[in-house]
Amino acid sequence: MASMGIFFALAGAACAALMAGIGSAIGVGKAGQAAAGVVTEDPAKFSKVLILQLLPGTQGIYGLLIAFITLTQIGIMGGDANLSAVKGLLYFAACMPMAFVGLISAIQQANAAVSAIALVSKKPDQFGKSMIFPAMVETYAILALLVSILSIFGIAGLAV
Amino acid sequence: MSVLPMKRIVICALRKDRKQVLELLQRQGVLEIRSSLSDDEVFSRQDKSRMAATFRKSAEACEQALTVLDEHAPEESGLLSMLDGRKPLSTAEYEERLRTADEAVRTAKEINSLQKRCSDVRAEIPRTESQLVAIRPWIGYDLPLDFSGTKAAAVFAGTLPGELTQEQIEAALAEYAPGLDDMEVNLISAAPEQTCLCVICGRKHEAELRDALRRMNFAKPPVASENPEQALRDLESRMAELQAEAGELAEQIRGFAGKRDALRFASDYYTMRADKYDVISGLVQSRLTVIIEGYAEARCAESLERALTSRYELVFETQEPAEEEEVPVALRNGGFAAPVESVVESYSLPGRHEFDPSVLVSVFYYFLFGLMLSDAGYGIIMTIGCAYALLKKKSMEPAMKKTMKMFLYCGISTTFWGFMFGSFFGDAVNVIASTFFGRPDVRLPALWFEQIDDPMKMLVFCFVVGIIHMFVGLGAKAWGYLRSGQPLDAVYDVLFWYLLVGGSIGYLLTLPMMSQMLGVKTLSASVGTVAGTAALIGLAGIILTGGRESGSWFKRILKGLYAAYGITGWLSDILSYSRLLALGLATGVIAQVFNKMGSMVAEGAGIIGAVIFIVIFLIGHVLNLAINALGAYVHTNRLEYVEFFGKFYDGGGRAFEPFAQNTKYFKIKEEI
Repeated sequence: MASMGIFFALAGAACAALMAGIGSAIGVGKAGQAAAGVVTEDPAKFSKVLILQLLPGTQGIYGLLIAFITLTQIGIMGGDANLSAVKGLLYFAACMPMAFVGLISAIQQANAAVSAIALVSKKPDQFGKSMIFPAMVETYAILALLVSILSIFGIAGLAV
Repeated sequence: MSVLPMKRIVICALRKDRKQVLELLQRQGVLEIRSSLSDDEVFSRQDKSRMAATFRKSAEACEQALTVLDEHAPEESGLLSMLDGRKPLSTAEYEERLRTADEAVRTAKEINSLQKRCSDVRAEIPRTESQLVAIRPWIGYDLPLDFSGTKAAAVFAGTLPGELTQEQIEAALAEYAPGLDDMEVNLISAAPEQTCLCVICGRKHEAELRDALRRMNFAKPPVASENPEQALRDLESRMAELQAEAGELAEQIRGFAGKRDALRFASDYYTMRADKYDVISGLVQSRLTVIIEGYAEARCAESLERALTSRYELVFETQEPAEEEEVPVALRNGGFAAPVESVVESYSLPGRHEFDPSVLVSVFYYFLFGLMLSDAGYGIIMTIGCAYALLKKKSMEPAMKKTMKMFLYCGISTTFWGFMFGSFFGDAVNVIASTFFGRPDVRLPALWFEQIDDPMKMLVFCFVVGIIHMFVGLGAKAWGYLRSGQPLDAVYDVLFWYLLVGGSIGYLLTLPMMSQMLGVKTLSASVGTVAGTAALIGLAGIILTGGRESGSWFKRILKGLYAAYGITGWLSDILSYSRLLALGLATGVIAQVFNKMGSMVAEGAGIIGAVIFIVIFLIGHVLNLAINALGAYVHTNRLEYVEFFGKFYDGGGRAFEPFAQNTKYFKIKEEI
């Protein structure tokens, strides 16, 4: 059981990267389809819809960030990789907010982004506002990221 | 620094000067034309929309021709050419070019008709191609495909689905038409999708054979009256002709590449004329005079008056707009705040009685953007890039210039915060020193502290920034009330909230649990008493005054309680500023990921390692900069729009849209 610590921690890191990444992939894909549709009609809107398409992409980056911090903390990226099973589970739990919120918020953000793209295609001057709707969804991914980061940094100091 | 004061302008000009006056106004671009007068027996409007539509059509033809030219003879352009503004033309040059406009439209029509022919021909090519594909399997059949037989013999030429052999076909025919003894099956070609064949039989068995073939899903061949080989030759030569024709048409279109400039001018010219006629449709005119009404910035009114009265015989009247009029809004700010005017504008322009928040927005905009991107390397790239573009491209359009300046200031702020947090392309200094020079002790020291080492400290800092940002917003609300002479409202809606929120925060900090969690010093109990009292006064004030517009006290208190519930909004607003930490960390950590990837490959691999490191470094950091700059931009806007504007700003103003040259390629300058 003692050697299971590193496994749990790695599983957590992998989940964060996996699920947030999947969410962003789905999200950016969805928004990309809508964006491409707009560009067929009006190529001049490319830069605007591209920005909107990219908005659901940040969750994947946050997932990567959590995974990376976890990997450095548990010593997989060089260093001592000895971890108690409890600590490993703690890391696993710490990664969960990012994993789940990342997955779902990216998809929901994509829905908002698709509508925002439709908005920009009809009213290009409303770009500033259209950007805010998807960004609202992202708040929750950011909060999850924060909880994950603070937990991971906190776990390092625990004596378990 | 504010919303520009507007004047109402009424010009009464002679009708014979109408064209010149309007053209002058269009070139000046300072007057928004809005007619409020209605028609009467002397003054009436003329509908010129037909003329406007004709001009628009000409302009569209030119635009279309330009697109065609771009397709056939693309113009070479530098990387920075998109930053180029419209080309300036002097009035003399403009007059000079006027003569070319009509011819340019003719050229445009010619180009468009050539393009239409070209696309017809191009559409014909795949059609011919598919005919060729259909005829090829029939090569070797030496009768015309629609040949149905002689007096004595019936001939069936056609296809059967699937790949069949002679034996299979004969066996199938024998099964479906057992009595047929005088038939001959000629297999012409067989491919997996179809088998081409020709069956001959005596006339007397024709019906029987037809029936049998039908049951085998026999289909007629593509109709061609000549024999297949002849048809193939014809189609091939047609194909060659078509291709040659398409090439020749494209060549002809390319020959017009030199006309681009004239086409652009004509497009602009006709757009301007169409705009002018749209304006004329809205003006009231009598037999000899025309009245032009509108709004202009107060500071432009005088020079406009001078320009007009010195040249034409007309009456120019400047009035103060009436209180209830919906005056258009234009913003004007100094060099530091002007760049964020577009940010304010894309939210909403200040409504009536509101002040221009650009200055407040600008300070926080640069501050927050820098805090989110927070990398000195990226900041320097942004600063240098924008500065270079600004210096290099003097002709940039004002809007573009503002955007560039905005990112220039954001870049400076990013650089500042990058050094504060010791981030230069992430931990590039340390990684390069330890990988290539064996000096892991060399690192860029943070001027303040490293975010990644002490995220809790950073989080607290973010909340402090957030509270300041929103308190400034609240202060702006008080300022708005004071400006419009409602000091009591400022007390009710602002002072009480200051007391409640400020007091609550102060009180929370006296609790050891809270201050330990945030890692700050616990405040003494006496501070707690003061803060708690302040918060209670604020709370009581809000409950009593939050619903002050209601008559009955019962309703009023209920509404007041609901207003006090808004404290939860403050909690979530403050938490929202944690994105400053999250995005700042994201930049730093992802930069570190790329540095680490590079150094892992490069470790001990000598020169090749260094090259690979540079490649990974470049790609990685460009990617990181792009994604995080986007993130910083979006979330700075969000903090300004939602958290900051939410406290005091409604907007709803109508943008000032002067009658001007809304052109794409040229702008005509005129000195007055």
